[in-house]
Formats: sequence, C-alpha cells, structure tokens
Amino acid sequence: MANYFPRWTNILPLKIAICIGALALGVVTAFTYYATPKAQRVGYMPDQPIPYDHELHVTQLGLDCRHCHSFVEKSGHANIPTANTCANCHVKGGIKSDSERLAPLFDAIESGEPIKWVRIHKAPDYVFFDHSAHLGRGVSCVECHGQVDEMPVVYHAKNLSMGMCIECHRNPEEALRPLEQVFNLKYDAADYLKKNDTAAEQVASYIKDKDLDLELTNSDDAQRAMGLMLKDRWNVQPKESCFTCHR
Amino acid sequence: MSKRKWHHPEVPVEERGTKVWRSAGELEDTPGLRQWVDKEFPRASEMMRDEEDQENTRRSFLKLMGASTALAGLGLASCRRPESLIVPFLDSVEWTIPGKATYYATSMPGANGAVPLVAATFEGRPTKLEPNKQNPGANGVDSHTQASILGLYDPARSRYFLENGKSVGRDAAVAKLYEYTKSGKFGVIFGEDDSLTRSDLIAKIKAKHAGAKFYSHEALAGAGKKASDAGVFGKHAAVKADFTKAGKILSLDCDFLELDKQGGLKAFYDRRRPEGEGYNEDPAAYQKQLNRLYCVEPTYSVTGGMADHRAPLAPSQMGRFISLLASFAGVGAAPASAFSDTKTKWAKACFDDLKSGEGVILLGSRYDKELHDVVYLINQAIGAYSAGTLVARKGEQHADLGSIEDFAKDAGSLETVILMTPANPVYENSTIGGKSFTDLVAGKKLIHWGCQINASANAADIHIPAAHYLESWGDGFSGDNGIYTVIQPMILPLYGGIQEFELLVALSANELELHDSADAAAVSPAYTAVKRVFDTKVKKGSGAAKVENWNSLLRTGFYADYKYKAVSAGPAPSVSIKVEAEPANASKPDIVFATDYSVLDGRYVNNAWLQEAPDPISKLTWDNAVYMSPKTAKELGLYDDVVELEKAEKAWWSNLGIATGTDVKTTPVSEDGEGPSLYGPMVKVKVGDKSLQAVVIVAFGMADNVVSIPLGYGQGYDEHWKDNFKGGTPEFEKDPRNVSSVGVNTGFNGYALRGGSDYYAAGISIEKVEGSRYKLARTQEHHSMYGRALAREISTMPTDPDGLDHQKDYKEQLANVRKQGMDSHIPQNVDQYKPVGNAKDKDGNDIDRVHLWDKSHQWAMSIDLSTCTGCSACLVACQAENNIPVVGKVQVAMGREMHWIRMDRYFAETSKEDESSNPSEDWDKPLEMIPNPVACVQCESAPCETVCPVNATVHSEDGLNTMAYNRCIGTRYCANNCPYKARRFNFFDYNKRNPLLHKNLYKGPFGKKQEGDAKSLQRNPNVSVRMRGVMEKCTYCVQRLQSAKIDAKQNVKRGVQKSGKPSTEFKVDHEMLMSPANSVTVACQDACSAGAIMFGNLLNKKDNIQKTKAIRDEDKDLPAHVQGEFANPRTYDLLSYLGTRPRTSYMARVKNPNPAMAGATNVGRATINMH
Repeated sequence: MANYFPRWTNILPLKIAICIGALALGVVTAFTYYATPKAQRVGYMPDQPIPYDHELHVTQLGLDCRHCHSFVEKSGHANIPTANTCANCHVKGGIKSDSERLAPLFDAIESGEPIKWVRIHKAPDYVFFDHSAHLGRGVSCVECHGQVDEMPVVYHAKNLSMGMCIECHRNPEEALRPLEQVFNLKYDAADYLKKNDTAAEQVASYIKDKDLDLELTNSDDAQRAMGLMLKDRWNVQPKESCFTCHR
Repeated sequence: MSKRKWHHPEVPVEERGTKVWRSAGELEDTPGLRQWVDKEFPRASEMMRDEEDQENTRRSFLKLMGASTALAGLGLASCRRPESLIVPFLDSVEWTIPGKATYYATSMPGANGAVPLVAATFEGRPTKLEPNKQNPGANGVDSHTQASILGLYDPARSRYFLENGKSVGRDAAVAKLYEYTKSGKFGVIFGEDDSLTRSDLIAKIKAKHAGAKFYSHEALAGAGKKASDAGVFGKHAAVKADFTKAGKILSLDCDFLELDKQGGLKAFYDRRRPEGEGYNEDPAAYQKQLNRLYCVEPTYSVTGGMADHRAPLAPSQMGRFISLLASFAGVGAAPASAFSDTKTKWAKACFDDLKSGEGVILLGSRYDKELHDVVYLINQAIGAYSAGTLVARKGEQHADLGSIEDFAKDAGSLETVILMTPANPVYENSTIGGKSFTDLVAGKKLIHWGCQINASANAADIHIPAAHYLESWGDGFSGDNGIYTVIQPMILPLYGGIQEFELLVALSANELELHDSADAAAVSPAYTAVKRVFDTKVKKGSGAAKVENWNSLLRTGFYADYKYKAVSAGPAPSVSIKVEAEPANASKPDIVFATDYSVLDGRYVNNAWLQEAPDPISKLTWDNAVYMSPKTAKELGLYDDVVELEKAEKAWWSNLGIATGTDVKTTPVSEDGEGPSLYGPMVKVKVGDKSLQAVVIVAFGMADNVVSIPLGYGQGYDEHWKDNFKGGTPEFEKDPRNVSSVGVNTGFNGYALRGGSDYYAAGISIEKVEGSRYKLARTQEHHSMYGRALAREISTMPTDPDGLDHQKDYKEQLANVRKQGMDSHIPQNVDQYKPVGNAKDKDGNDIDRVHLWDKSHQWAMSIDLSTCTGCSACLVACQAENNIPVVGKVQVAMGREMHWIRMDRYFAETSKEDESSNPSEDWDKPLEMIPNPVACVQCESAPCETVCPVNATVHSEDGLNTMAYNRCIGTRYCANNCPYKARRFNFFDYNKRNPLLHKNLYKGPFGKKQEGDAKSLQRNPNVSVRMRGVMEKCTYCVQRLQSAKIDAKQNVKRGVQKSGKPSTEFKVDHEMLMSPANSVTVACQDACSAGAIMFGNLLNKKDNIQKTKAIRDEDKDLPAHVQGEFANPRTYDLLSYLGTRPRTSYMARVKNPNPAMAGATNVGRATINMH
C-alpha cells in the first residue's frame, strides 16, 4: 500500500491547530480593541458646523451648563441649544457677529434651516438614559462627559460602555456630590469639605459612626466619605436590573 | 421533576354542571381542536403553510442566506462610525421640552358627541390619545378613538386633489370647485356630529347662497331614534340616559356600552361593582345599590355580555315584544300573536322590576321611529322621565340639517353635491326614496372632501384631501355631558389636507380660495372662525379677559358653562306598530345589518389596529362574516362543516356529567379546527333581488332563525383575494382603488344586501355554496389555557334551595371565589417554583422575596370582571402605547398576533344532565358570555425567568417581570414555560417589512419595507421598537413607571431646593421616593371606560390598589411590603395553585339576577360550580 501521507504530515494537525488558535486569538484581540466602546468612541472629536468653544464659554466666561442645555434637569434628553439661544448674545451687530465662524448661525436664522450639530455622545436605541434622574441625585455631568469645561473642542472623553454604567451603579459613592455642586465641573470633595465646616463635621461624624478609615484631606478618600454619607442620607439605591435602562 | 399531572375529581351526578367554551370546536371537542391545543405552540410548526411554501422554503432560505452574507461582507468593507446629527429647533417652541411629552387638550368629533381627549405629543408628533380627565364627562377612550391616531399617519391617506379619481393640480381643482359652486345650487352632506362653528358658517353660506341646502348623514348613526326624539321633544333634541339613577335597565338591542352610546357610562359601571365606586366596603353590604341589566337582542353585543338576564330575540320580533311591554304598561294593546308562556313570564317579571323604581328602557337607535315612540310612552309610564333617568337635551343653536331622505327629495333642484361626511355614501349606495344614492347624484357634480381615497372619493368629480381632526380646528359638545369642547390641531396637516371649516369659509366667501397650510405665515380661517364663535357666542368677553378665556379653553379643552340644556316633552306621539310574524324557520330568517366593532360603518377599513383587534364577540380579525346560531346552522346543514360532532363521552367536560346529545357522526369531515387551517363554509344570502356570498361563523347566543352581517367590509379586492378561498371563489370585481393595502381583501360587503337605512330585513333566504370555503383568522383558540376556572363569576342570588350546590347565599359565594375550579382541590405544597421552607435573610425578609427589595414601589394590578365588557379598548391602547406591530391576517391565522393583552371570551351555559336547553327558545336557561383580559400577570415567582438561557427576562426589584429586548436571542423557552401564554414572539421584522403585502414577510431582505416614515412618527419614543427574533410582552408600561419614579426623585430635589438648607443635610426616606397615590396609570387603565383596570403601588397605603388586591392566606406571614392591607373577597389569582404569585389579580364578576325570574338561579354560574 502506497504511503499516502508522508512523515511530515504527522504534525500537520498540530500546525493547523496552532495557526487557527493564533488567528482566533488575533481576531478576538483585534475585535476587543477596535470594536469596543473604548476604542470606538473615546477620542471621537468631529468637526461641528460652528466650532463652539466650551473652555472659553464655561471656564473663562463662567456660563453655567444649563444656560444652553436648559432642560437637562427636567428631561431625560439633554437638549442642544436652539439657534436663538446663541443669538441672545451673538445678535447681528453684537458679540463677534462679524466672525466667519458664526456665519452658519446667521445663515440658519435667515434661512430657517436649523443648524445640524454632530452627535458625539450616543447611547444605543435600546438604552434609556435619563439626565434629569442622575443630576437630581447628585451625579455630575463630569462623570460621563469628562472635563467639558476644559475642552476647546468637545470630544468623547469616557467610553460610556455598559461596564461604566454598572460600575457607577454599584459604587455610587464614587460619584455622588452635594446637589449644589453638580454643575461645578471643577468640584473636588476635599476642597469642598475644607470650605464647608458643617459638611465636614457631618462627614467626619459619619465616618466615625461607620468606622471607616478615610482621610478627608485626600481627594479620593473625601469623595468616598462624602459619597457614602450622601448615599445613606438620600437613600440612593442605584438599580442594577436590566429594566433600569433597557425596556 | 417530572411533569405533574393532576386529574380533576369526579363531580357528583346530581349537581348541575357548567359548560364553558370559547369556540364551536371547543364545545364539540373536535380532534382538530385538540390537536391545535395540544400543540400549544403551533406558531413555529406552521411556518410552512402550504405545499408551495414547503417546496420553496428550504431553497429560498439558502439563497437568501447567501445573499445576506454577501451583503454583510459589503457592509463590513465600508465599516465606519456613522455620523449622526442633532438638530435642535431654531427658535424655542413654547412648552416643548425635548424628550418629554407635551399634552394638549382636544376632542374627537363623532355622531355620539365629541370625545374629550388629551393628546400626548413628542416634539410636535401626537403619539397617544388619553381621556381628558378634567372634563367631567370624560370616561376612557374607546378603541375607535384610540386607533384614530393611526389614521393621522396612514401613508395611504389622501394627499392630492383628484378629478374623477385622477390626480389634478390644486389650482385646477379649486377653479373647478368654484365653477361647480358659484351658482349656489349645491347641497352639502355633513356627518352627524354637532358643531357650533359649523352651524355659524352654514348660516353664512346660506346668507350668500340662498339655494344652498345642508344635510347630515352617517349610515349607522341611528336615524330612528333621532326622528322619534325630534318628534317628541322638538328638533335637535336628543334623549340621554343618566345612569346614576338607572337601577334597572332594559336594553332592547341597544349596545349602549359600546356602539350605541346613550349617555355617560361612569355611573353605570360604578353601580356594577358590588362595593360601589371606592371598593372600600364589604361587598355584601353594598348589594342593594347594584344595578340590574336586562338585554333583549338578536346577536351578542358587549352589552348583552354584561347583562344579568339576556334573551335572544329576532329583530323583526322587537315590535311584538315592545307591544307586549306596552300592554303591561297600559299604553298599547298586546300583540295579536302571543309569545310563548315562558317568554311572556320573562317579560312580565322584567317589566315589574322596571316599574318598581329606577327602571329605564333603551331601544337600539337604528330601530324605526314608531318603535321608539312606543318605548317613549312605556318609559313615561314607568317613570323614567319623571325620575330624571332619561333626559332630553339640546344646544342653544343648531344648524337645520336635513336628513338623507330630505336630500333625496331636494336632489332635483341641486346642481352640485358636496360630501363632507365621514360616511361613504357611494360605497353604501343605499336606496333612498326609491332611488339609489348613485342614481340620485347622477348628472350632478359630486365633490368629496375626506381623509381617505374611498369609493366616494374616486366617484367624485373633485376630491379634496381633508385634514385629520388632529390637524384641524373645530368644536363640539362632549357626548356624555353635552359640554362645549374645542378641537385643536396637534400638528400642521401632514399631507396638505384642507380643514372642514376652511372649505366652509371658502364657500361663504366671494372668491373661492382655499387656505394653504404650507404657508407658515398665514392663519387658518378655521382658527379664526372657531375663535370668533367662541368669543361671540360661547363666552363673551373683551380685552384681556377675551384672551384669557380663549387660552383657558385651549388649556382645558372645554368650557363647562356652555352646554346642552334639558328640554321638556311635547305632546305624546300617536302610536301604531307594524308587528311582523315570527320568522318561521331557517329557510326564511331575518338578517341584521350590524355595526362593526372594528370598522364601524366602514370608515376604519384602512385602520390596521382596528382590523387586527379581534371582534369582542366572535374573535374574528381582518374580516366580517355571516353569523348564525348553532341551531340555525344545523338546519341549514352548515354546522357539521364547522365542527365535527363526536361522541359526547369524549368531550372534556363529560367528567362533569353533562351530555350534549347523542349525535354520533362518522362522516369524515375535513380537519378544520382553529388555526391556519380554519376555513369557513360559504353561503349565498339573498335579500329581495340582492345577493351576496359570504363566509359563515357559528355564533353562540344568537336568536334562532336570524343571521347577522357586520357592515363596512369588502370595499375593494385585488388578485390575491382568491387565495383566501378553497374550492371555488365567488365572482368579484378586482378594484383595489377604494382601499389601501390595509383594507384590501377584507371581508364581504354587507351594504350590497341592505336596502335603505334598514337595520334588518325579514324573510331572506340563505343557501349553502357547496365546496367553497373561506379562510378565517380567529384568535379565540390562540394561547388557550382552557378547562380551568379562569374567569370567575358569582351571583347575588342564593342558589338552589335543594342545597346540592356548594354555595348557598351571596356571602358564601363571595367567600368561595378563591376556591373555584382547581383551587378547591389542588393538593398543598406542590409548587414547583417556590423554595421550600421559610428561610429569612439577614434583614428578616423572606429569602424567597429578596429580589423584591424596593421599599418605595411594588406594582400591582387588579382587573374587575364585574365591569369589564371585553370591548378591547385596552388592547388597542396598549398597541398605541407600546409600539406593538400589526402582523396581518396570514400571521394572525397562525397564532402570531402580537397584542400584549389577549381578550379571552368564554361562553357558559348551565344545565342539568336531563335538560337539553335551547337558550334561544327558553329564556330561563341563559347562555352567558364572560370576558377575561389576560396580559402578563408579572409573577413574583416567574416560570419564564428560570428558563431564559441569557437572562433576558429577569425580575425587577419593584415586582415587574421585565424584558431586556436587546438581550433576547429568541429561544422562546420563556413562552413555552409561561402558564398564562402571555408572551409574544416577533417571527418576522413586522416593524420594518410591511406584513400586509402579499407574502412580503417571506421575501426576507428583499421584502418591501414600510412606506415612508409616517408610521415611525406615531411610535412612542420611550419604548423600544422590537426586531425580528425577539420575545415581547406586557411590562406594566414600564416606561411610565420609570418616569414616575424619576418624577418622585425630582420632587425630592425640589424639596431640597425649597428648604433652603444645604443638600448634604437633607434626609430622604422610602416614602419620599414614592410616587403620589394613584398618580401612576398604565395605558390600558386610562383607556378603560369601565374602570375595570386598577393599577398601583402596594406599598402606598393610600393607593386604590390596596382596596382590591388580596392577601393570600399563605402570605400572611410575609413582610408587610408585599402585602395589601385590604382583602377584597372577590379578588383571585389566575392559576394560583401553580404558586407563581401573580401581581395581576382578577375580581370575580357578580351577576345580580332578579329573584322573581324563573331562570334566576341559572344566572351568574359560569364557573361557580367548577370544582
């Protein structure tokens, strides 16, 4: 009988297996890297019709987030300002009205055709995220959107993956802050406690009660202490069941 | 654990048993049906419908697979993050908050008066209609009103001017319109709704064109009652019933609960509950205020289903019956040919009860004027008018609109006829004054104004596309209390339609010009007209008050101080009744031209929600049929075609000791059980010289020798019509122009048999069409869980004095509600889902309930069968709220309808072994109908959750059995394991591919997509639109619950801000996070005019749900937060012996029979004796 399979074929199955394994590993790695929110979204910085500068308006001029995103505390959806919100300051003949960058605004007002902003933060259709619910319970914009106040051009700072949501819902103390500080994107718990004696006392007595080993001058520890106290006081129980976001 | 089998114990022979069934097949227990029920999930195996499909499916599957893989490859190559845009408004829109619904008050005009509504709009798109609860007359939203919002977005809506059915430019059409109307010799036919502004504009047109004439016409709006009321109380007056004062009601074929409303129904339903409105007392103590309903009617209506005593009677005999009542009342002579003894006794006992106080008689509006006159006299005699139970009322100003008969008389002098009625006179083509409508308008110019391109639109010389009422200005008077209501537009006309008043204003002007809604700057003349009439007639004012009056009207939607006023009666009418002889036999039966629960008079034929909503009685979708009683069907030789008769011993209820006769048929009858193979036999119906072929359905509870056909179907057919037939197709005209892809090929045109405005015809003939059969899609056997006491019923009467029955008096019956059926015998602790023992966690909660840890909300629902009529408004409301797709007739036949609420309907009959009864003849042996709406009951211990391999259905901490649609992979295990059959599966992408086109779903990616974006505009943005391969079901409108919870948190936040203290010092407890009592409502609950659905939070002690939801005995030791405080004895759970602990409970129906009636102990026993 002829020798159909030469000797070298003996290790062929092993070679094939290794190759397939390596390939599969490669595909998985590549998919994990390129197809997850971390790779797909973070850093997304599209050109906007008007290069609106958040850093300028918020940090330098001191505008509140709600000046433009006016319904963010009332609605699940954080609205993008209407053209006439912009035109409150940038009227024809007003501030920077001759700037070329503002031309699309005046075009829009004249033509009646609204400005088409490019969406940066997008939750899938089956996710029902509610801005007002989070802001009303002491979760700041910064937790999901990053330091927008320091962004001349807004980009996708955090990955907004489901893991991120769950992480925060499990440990809300990392994010909770006094309601008055929700729109202060520069908030730091340690600084806050330094300036607010009553709050500092409360937090101190809270960690004493609960026997927590936290240093209130350390930002992270202060945040945790403050968060734990607020979670308790405000009865914050973030849900982890699916219907919280999916329905 | 092996499947537990539990056999029902033998029932003592001497006890009366009760048969309960849903279809003829179930009654007769055919092999076909058994197979269908046994399969339980035939939906999957029925994928391959016919041989052709079987041949093609495998190959086309491979082909399509190849194609989609190729497409996927293409897609990947160009894989980039799609850029999506955010387009904010240019100017902020008043009141609008992006992402939140804005609510506007409006109303829907109708022949029964306007329905006060609140429309939810999202960024300008109206998506859902709710009752305007501020209006004292608002009471639920029926299915027609609910579904009218789909009509707004209908892609097939008329959007162009037509000339003889062909599209024509706007300017040309307006020029023609001017030419046709400039002589002033035109007649306008309006609908039957009443509008003050219209009356005003008519006066204006009359001032300009003396020759112009005005009429009102809707085919089925009840001309007889209108004429009688006008005769007695003066023109424009209408008699309405005040149900607060109506303790005993006799409905003579008057479906006053649904299609033939006679006044506000809230009081009726309040008096239907044994505990009264608030559910807060012992039912036994409140027994006295229960009302009692008698019903005499030829076919089952939802009102008949509610009746305590119901008697089937042929329509031709109604005159005879009324004269019998008249003779009791002393206002007329008894009929020459007497009724049988038992029937006369029945009538006497009924009449005596009515006369004893709080009595009222309501006659179907479509009966002749003469009968209404007699009923008026009887009502006078029993004191219904003097007690104020019946009140005639009219407005201050009504335009003098002629009837369609007046139109026939005037027709000679008219040059142009303008149709502005929602009816469709060309399709109806009634004979009026000896001439058909088309003959009457022949030679005249016909102008049609309407939303739909129907027969009248196509026949018209000029068709004007109309604006929907949600795009229009208008006014009206609410049906229940006659209060002035406003109709305001929610959106600019989507398809450039013309509003009614715009056309009327144009007709009254010198130059005929139509308003162009595209011109944003121009104000609609309809707005100006309505506002002017309001300012000058309704509420006069000037300056700032004038503005405020108007704004307040728009805000609330009504002005309560301007309403219909009561009028007193004129001289009594002289009376003579034409009494027709009894229909002798099945060869010469009566025919009833019934109003349809889905399409009404045909106007909703293109409304897919209504077409797919099963008929409340027959559970037929997408079609109409000729209905007849089993006896009539037997006599015509049709019954065997519907069910194969078998030995009674094989029937499932034979255990109960009931024999159903000795018919033993051995003839091989084709297996036509329920389901996709349901083909009904065809008959040819002849009325005079008119004839029609239509399919037959055996309907229980009908009078013998009567057939009925609902009107409004069969408006157009295309080449696929013949696919519905087996063995011979009747001749049909292929003309789909008059309908959209929704209404095409649906049903048979009953108008073809009808003469003038007749409600019924006597002495017709019916013959079977041999061999020909027609495919039907009926849902009555779908998702079946038969054989258990699911819908429970008790009676206020003590039952048999011989003491053989279990229950003796009302109190005892109440106490036994929870022990009906299996629940009385099932052995304890056989629960498969409940963990053994009574383990507690560290907080002292039952280990069994740790998943229900939310201390602020635990949702629950209660459904009261005492007031549920089965009208299916909840089903349509749910469809509107939850983006539920329509699947089409073919899919419904396979059991794939997607409605989350299944409206079960059972027939029940009590009899002893030796009695074979015919309820049609023997009125003391009633056949009852009892509805039972079933949606997901949200089991605390849910069988579906344990079997999902991907955790796509999991329990929420507030007691919902939730669905993560994006997680579902479509194994359908959950549906297999659901004992309530509450889950629905998306077998196709019903939302994306149009399921109504012929075989479109089976074309996969090549199937035609839904037309345009119109349908997605109606979608509720807070609910996921499910795709193919996803399981879905009721989750208690979870979107509303979530937003209620968020609102509660916002309230807390506002509290913090108000307090002025730093937020860090604020303490929040569970109660502060609770939604206010009774503030959260679900869509079905809002729609229910009977208030049968109650929803609420078990943890809120002030919530109404506390009063109804039961504490189960075995739950006594559970933590308080999962218990209710009140235990209503009527409350029970479906299949409670399974231990699933459903959150939705039911309340047993209480019937209130008249003890003086011979058959009183047969009433209210549908399930009372189920063991």
